[in-house]
Amino acid sequence: MILTFKFLRKAGYSLGCQWTIFCPLARLSFAQCTPRMHSSSYRRPGVLPDNTPPWKNVDFNFKKSIEEVKKHFGLLKKEIVDHWTGPEGRPLIEHLLEQTRVIWEFRSQQDLEQWVVSSDQEIGGKSETYLKLSKNSQTALLYGTLNTSVPHDGETRYSGYCSLRSKMPQGAFNHRKHHDWSSFNALHLRIRGDGRPWMVNLGTEMYFSHQKDDLYNYFMFTRGGPYWQDVKIPFSKFFLSSRGRIQDDQHPAWLDKINTLGFTLGDKADGPFQLEIDFIGVCIDRAHTEEFAYEKYKRNP
Amino acid sequence: MKCVRVLLPLLARDSYGDPLALGQAWGLRRTFSCAQTPNMCLSRGFRTSMRKPTSKPAPTKREEEAQPNPKSLVTFEDPFKRFDQDCRNKATFSHVLNVFCKKDVRRRGHVEFIYAALQKMPEFGVERDLRVYNALLDIFPKEVFVPQNSIQRMFNHYPRQQECGVQVLEQMERYGILPDAETKFLLLQIFGQKSHPFLKYRRMMYWFPKFKNINPYPVPYPLPCDPVDIAKLSLQRISADLDARITVYQMPSVEEKTRITHPYIVGIQSPDQQSLLQKHSPDRPVYVEGPFPLWLKKTCVYYYLLRAELLPPGEKEEEEDIDPERNFYFPMQLDLDLERDLGDDDSFDVNEVEEGPVFAMCMVGSEDQATLAQWIRGLQETNPILGHIPVVFRLESGPLKIQAETEMEETYEEEALQSQKLKQ
Repeated sequence: MILTFKFLRKAGYSLGCQWTIFCPLARLSFAQCTPRMHSSSYRRPGVLPDNTPPWKNVDFNFKKSIEEVKKHFGLLKKEIVDHWTGPEGRPLIEHLLEQTRVIWEFRSQQDLEQWVVSSDQEIGGKSETYLKLSKNSQTALLYGTLNTSVPHDGETRYSGYCSLRSKMPQGAFNHRKHHDWSSFNALHLRIRGDGRPWMVNLGTEMYFSHQKDDLYNYFMFTRGGPYWQDVKIPFSKFFLSSRGRIQDDQHPAWLDKINTLGFTLGDKADGPFQLEIDFIGVCIDRAHTEEFAYEKYKRNP
Repeated sequence: MKCVRVLLPLLARDSYGDPLALGQAWGLRRTFSCAQTPNMCLSRGFRTSMRKPTSKPAPTKREEEAQPNPKSLVTFEDPFKRFDQDCRNKATFSHVLNVFCKKDVRRRGHVEFIYAALQKMPEFGVERDLRVYNALLDIFPKEVFVPQNSIQRMFNHYPRQQECGVQVLEQMERYGILPDAETKFLLLQIFGQKSHPFLKYRRMMYWFPKFKNINPYPVPYPLPCDPVDIAKLSLQRISADLDARITVYQMPSVEEKTRITHPYIVGIQSPDQQSLLQKHSPDRPVYVEGPFPLWLKKTCVYYYLLRAELLPPGEKEEEEDIDPERNFYFPMQLDLDLERDLGDDDSFDVNEVEEGPVFAMCMVGSEDQATLAQWIRGLQETNPILGHIPVVFRLESGPLKIQAETEMEETYEEEALQSQKLKQ
């Protein structure tokens, strides 16, 4: 019996993104229903934990389930055909000679749907973030207001961030896929900002579950002004942090298991901000041979 | 803060049945000196002190029941609030620290005092002063919290005090203050080699210098006070061209007789932009657009652009082809395929975002059309073609206007479409 479950699970950190899980067997669906990357143990102070049992969250809709079945079998078919064609659905010669790859570009509304915006409203702050296509509908415009006023809940001490994050790639039947950027060594972005510094976050697949808050970060400085700016960030520069704290033992990111890419603004300056993104790609910088920019030996013993 | 919270039940018990006192107790939560009142301080002294504390020890429960404390309302004075807003500066802040240090040899309640002082630092304007942070760390009694034996070293020795020390360092980190040698010696003296505050110090000393100079567009700190200097700085930053020339069209001044203020006008134009403007056809208008925001750390400035719309695709000017017969001896045009190797194509497979050219940028002191028209008039001296091109002002409501309108709860977008030919 084929069932479709829609788990309206309030994933705290990820804007309450809805986890639509399709699974041929109910048993398997429960095994999968714990969102691993996008969930967080964060709970707002003063809010009671959500103790509703998982079967209460099931929203059964026959029409939707038919659509889901169609979608997932379509994806399955595409995956099989892609596998026959070559790695990642392209011929082998193209894959081998590839020097640059455009991962995300912003030319239509569908491209924006691969992204999630969030701000400190999740923790009770007052910042606002919006994402839309810019005037010529060729680029994405992330805009809003940053507000560093701290919510009065007695525990939160800092506030004021806005972020944009890509959704995790998912294959047929919502199995987990990862971006494989191991043949590249630099991230290339074409942006236009307003002079504020941003932080680029790489979320990678980690081995243990307690590493789910780990991110690789680096800074992205915008010049401001009317001209576009090409930013190239080598992957070796990204440093490991967990829950916003730099970690002592650093190691390079696993580039074959990239889940998400995000941008965070938190420069403690109240006011409006904007960031236009043309495209995000990866490339090989042959002049850059550095493996990792930070010391990998154990410090602070 | 938690320390105070622990003490709160004590306070509440003292003033049981008196809701006013209880309310005041909650009001005291963020302050420090409730731990200093004699009947509430912990009876245990610091470890090195062999003498009994001079103040009275905490009364036992039986005593309390026997005779309720007549002083249920505790008088208390916040030393930071003694100073008005006018005289809050570094001198008064260090004065408060000195007074606290001299009050009690044992520095009773220093953790709460340091937490309170950390909160007050931005009000006194000393949040970016390393010496004040060192003075704050100096409040901790020395060599009391250093673990003496292996058992103490194994467990978290004096955790509240260590947390407090970490908080001081975290606030330094937040404001971007790099600790110096004095901080190091103070931390070593207070907490010892293997303590959390010292670990935090070492982390800061490792990571701060790494990211100190990575900003390719640095902003001087502090920013210059003169708006003309700020305008020059920011225009040079956004022009992205080292050849660009800055022109100050008008310095800020006030006429004595008529009381007319002349706002400053600072513009920038690069030779490339100048030649682009030369090629612009006089049939198409150019636009003055703005204001656009630019952030220099925490200050926001606004700039205006002189630009043209993108040509419609049908009317794109074809570049003149040089026919190969023009010169028989050597080719006038070289079209070599200089790719390094098979597949070495470093370009990205995206459609170029095409936008209209930018001809000049400026920053002005007041956001009205007359000032910008004056800028255009100044531009005409170097770009005579501007006299023949119609200039359209497309100004959005600027930040100053927005502030005025939020009171009216109305937002409207002003599009001043006034085509005017400026002729000398």
